[in-house]
Amino acid sequence: MDEQVCPRCKTTKYRNPSLKLMVNICGHALCESCVDLLFLKGSGSCPECNVPLRRSNFRVQLFEDSMVEKEVDIRKRVLRDFNKKEEDFSTLREYNDYLEEVETIILNLTNNVDVITTNKKIEQYKKENKDVILKNKSKIGREEMELEELLEEEKQQGEVRKKELVKLEQEEKKKKIREKEALIDELMFSNADAKNILETFANNVQAAKEEVKQVPVVKATHFSTGIKFGHQRQQSFLSVPKIEEGPLYMYEAPRQPTDGPLPPTWSDLEVKGYVNHVEHEKDEHRAGGYRANISCLRALQEALAGLYHVSDRTDLAS
Amino acid sequence: MFPASSQKKFWTFVDETDLIRLRHEANRKFILKHGANMTEELRERTFLSAADERLLLRQYELQLRDFCRRFNPPMPRSVSGTAFHYFKRFYLHNSVMDYHPKEILVTCVYLACKVEEFNISIQQFVANIKGDREKASDIILNDELLLMQQLNFHLTVHNPYRPVAGLLIDIKTRCSLKDPDRLLPGIEELLDRSFLTDACLLYAPSQIALAAILHAASKIQENLDSYVTETLFGRPSSDILPNIIEAIRKIRSLVKSIENPSRETVRQLEKKLEKCRNQENNPDSQIYKQRMQDMLDEEDEQSGEIYARVAREQASDEERLLGVSRVLSPSAS
Repeated sequence: MDEQVCPRCKTTKYRNPSLKLMVNICGHALCESCVDLLFLKGSGSCPECNVPLRRSNFRVQLFEDSMVEKEVDIRKRVLRDFNKKEEDFSTLREYNDYLEEVETIILNLTNNVDVITTNKKIEQYKKENKDVILKNKSKIGREEMELEELLEEEKQQGEVRKKELVKLEQEEKKKKIREKEALIDELMFSNADAKNILETFANNVQAAKEEVKQVPVVKATHFSTGIKFGHQRQQSFLSVPKIEEGPLYMYEAPRQPTDGPLPPTWSDLEVKGYVNHVEHEKDEHRAGGYRANISCLRALQEALAGLYHVSDRTDLAS
Repeated sequence: MFPASSQKKFWTFVDETDLIRLRHEANRKFILKHGANMTEELRERTFLSAADERLLLRQYELQLRDFCRRFNPPMPRSVSGTAFHYFKRFYLHNSVMDYHPKEILVTCVYLACKVEEFNISIQQFVANIKGDREKASDIILNDELLLMQQLNFHLTVHNPYRPVAGLLIDIKTRCSLKDPDRLLPGIEELLDRSFLTDACLLYAPSQIALAAILHAASKIQENLDSYVTETLFGRPSSDILPNIIEAIRKIRSLVKSIENPSRETVRQLEKKLEKCRNQENNPDSQIYKQRMQDMLDEEDEQSGEIYARVAREQASDEERLLGVSRVLSPSAS
């Protein structure tokens, strides 16, 4: 594995196990002590690329490759403005194109390709989409607020539960003590058989325990995450995209001009006995959907169609 | 069905004068194009007249019939019917001198096989042809598109065979004629002969079918008149019946008047045709071969150019999109 090395003081992880590499927006790493040394005044320039940096922008390098760090940085910055969501586009294609453009911008910035034009593009985009950006930002803010509220609520619930548990425990202890005292009192002042008294007390304690056992079960259902559930449901509805619809399609049977005597109908074929004069279909033909009356009717239709045909010059096309 | 078909709309004509006019036009067009600076007399000596062409076509229609009959595997009748239609339609607008009928004939049959779903490969098909089969398949495949184009891509043909079957079913159901299958030989005869006439360019297939049935009935001395007038047409209005009777009479007289051209005249016409035919469409001629070669070369050139252009476009696109020129592999540098 590659040793982590501070590029300035050349300290390695091996020599200083507590070495922490920090990165800033330019993507070049420095160890913690170098940062302390160089940025005493709070700001300075990167020793490698001379980009002016602020000390407050340094953070611990999470990824071994500092380029990834840089990209994460840039991505965060770009996405703050390019915060459109799928609902903002009418088609999936447009949304994909938009995503692709964002990726191109990020790639350009991380690899220092066309930085000036890309920055210009970002500015232009910001200007053109001011409203949408603001709207989405507030939307994101609202969502985050809701999330925080939810967390807060859960925390409170947890605390309440803890308090209740403590209370219960204390009560239990008190109860036990009281029981013991009662038992001793009984034993001291009663005339009954000691054995009997012990037995009845033991039974009482058993019954009480069972009761206690049942109670938490009831409480558990009571404390189930009912509220949180309701909250989530309110949020998780996705907006249903509207589909533009025209008038519904209506089927119209095609009209066949016959230009001859009217052919028989389907029912006529059986009733008047036309089908008796064609070869009956075999089983293997029926499998494909063929029936003898289909070909029978077709032959009859074709026999009668066009019988009245008379050519005259008016309807001659060619 | 026929009343809504392209066959009725574009390929059914009013009467024979129309057909004659179209054929004359095709003949005249060819002569004007290829004999532009000839005297009238020379033209007459060199070229075939429209009547000569008609005579030759009759001869080739006989050949077409025989070819279909002898075809192996035996083909359904609708294939030969469709082929006849194609053949007749093709020579309404083209001169025999432009495209030789012996080539168009086989192409018509080949195309009809496809259209009528008589599945057969080109190898199987040319096995039925005498002579150089390689050349024949070349000619057929070359002419196939030309034929379709000349037919205006109206490939669906309504043959009289199914109407005949339908009428027979009707007769069996609604007429008291004894054993209607006796009609079959007579029907067959008339339909076969009708394809040697222009009937299929003038009348509806159902009319030809009815004519065939009536012809067959009269041959076996039966009378179907009452069936036709009472049952089939169910007392039609007075203006319809005379038309139908006229059409049927005309079809039967057309069929009766077929006369086969004499061998001697055909041989002379063939000789004349060999001399005056359009050499550009003669697969044996030097001009034709040269033209084919040119077309092939041109195609090669074109595809090469297209490839180069596409490659250039791709390269520039990549540069524009990625901002980098194509990365060379390490071994290339």
